[in-house]
Amino acid sequence: METQAYAPKDFKSDLKPIWCPGCGDFGVLQAIYRALAAIGRPPHEIAFVSGIGCSSRIPGYTTAYGFNSVHGRALPIAQGIKLANPDLLVLCAGGDGDGFSIGGGHLPHAVRRNADLTYIVMDNQVYGLTKGQLSPTSSRGRKTVTSAYGSLEQPINPLLQVLSYGAGFVAQGTPADTPGLTMLIEEAIRYPGFAFVNVQSPCVTYGEEHQQMRAQKAMMQPLASLGHDPADFLKALEWATRYGRELHTGVFYRNPEPPPSYEQQVRERQALLSRNALPRERILELFAPHA
Amino acid sequence: MAIRGIDLTTLTLKAALDLATLIEEEARDRYEELADQMQVHHTPDVERFFRRMVEVEQRHRDELARRRQALFGAAPPAVSRAAIFDVEAPDYDEVRQGMSVRAALESAMRSEVKAHDFFVRALPRVTDPDVKTLFEELRDEEVEHRQWVQAELDRLPAASGPDGDVSDEPVAQ
Repeated sequence: METQAYAPKDFKSDLKPIWCPGCGDFGVLQAIYRALAAIGRPPHEIAFVSGIGCSSRIPGYTTAYGFNSVHGRALPIAQGIKLANPDLLVLCAGGDGDGFSIGGGHLPHAVRRNADLTYIVMDNQVYGLTKGQLSPTSSRGRKTVTSAYGSLEQPINPLLQVLSYGAGFVAQGTPADTPGLTMLIEEAIRYPGFAFVNVQSPCVTYGEEHQQMRAQKAMMQPLASLGHDPADFLKALEWATRYGRELHTGVFYRNPEPPPSYEQQVRERQALLSRNALPRERILELFAPHA
Repeated sequence: MAIRGIDLTTLTLKAALDLATLIEEEARDRYEELADQMQVHHTPDVERFFRRMVEVEQRHRDELARRRQALFGAAPPAVSRAAIFDVEAPDYDEVRQGMSVRAALESAMRSEVKAHDFFVRALPRVTDPDVKTLFEELRDEEVEHRQWVQAELDRLPAASGPDGDVSDEPVAQ
């Protein structure tokens, strides 16, 4: 694994983003470029996996290996990549619909396996690519094309959910604070295990006024300025319950004693079992009829 | 608007010139991105304006880079681009599909004001007399840039096309 001096532009591909002008994802992409430059791994040592949606276009906008995969299936694919080549830096990105609804079943298992991945969710509380339907994080009462009289459903709380599944690193940021978001993504990448960054990335076309960047700048409160200790799990849960009502940014929880990652355990198991393993050329003999 | 990891109190003239060059570079690149967005979303008048801004920022960048070259030659840069966050570059949420040229100019104006404020706020922390002189000069240049943008705004007819909200939804996706 090599580390060198990289500039953010080294991670920018020639593909031009086609997001709506003003979209929050532009700022998230900038933060990702900067975080990757700070990490210093070359693009060919990075794999970026996504599902489907506006934000899932992100891998194409980077010079890393990219896989714009199937709706909701970014996490299983990312885990497979990490397991096959643990030396790769694996990032995963997508939207709230992709991650918490269509791919919602994969999330707890990715967390409990603790593969060393960084999962960045651009949570805009709406299905933007398909023109503004209710998403799993849309607020109760929200009017959309699929909830003309207001949503009757309670939104998912991604922070609380991921914390309760046992993730070792849980953070929230916003492109309204690019320096802060850059640091969070960098820190998430450096965390040795499953790291989750929820980004309140406003949808400029279907989002509501109070979700836009200007409003976020006015309402966001960095947890560090409130004296939060990221090692305090119970306090992290308490802050997380405020999701949807208040906008807290920063690291909610960072496990001070990170457990071994899934791929680390697999390597150890392989090393253990290979001690008594037959040489490859003798394996076929197991299946050959006895002479 | 922010810079990260740069101590203004110990800033040398070489680092200050690097910083100022990178600020212009960031603004140039942002205008280029915004022009691309306008191209993708079929807003040609605003695209043209943003492309002009790319040239303007490039010119400012080149002037600073020439000064830096004359004084310090090819000495390695003291400041990284990763340290600069939207000092003169317009924020991404300044733009909308179908925005008017007037709105684009107003956005450019806010960016010039932002850059001016940066130098105003930085100056009291600067200790090196050469850096102080440079920052004062750059602060005053931002005032000239504002005047240029204002002159462009004054030349526009009162209504210069639709603003912000458009009846059609984005089509590029």
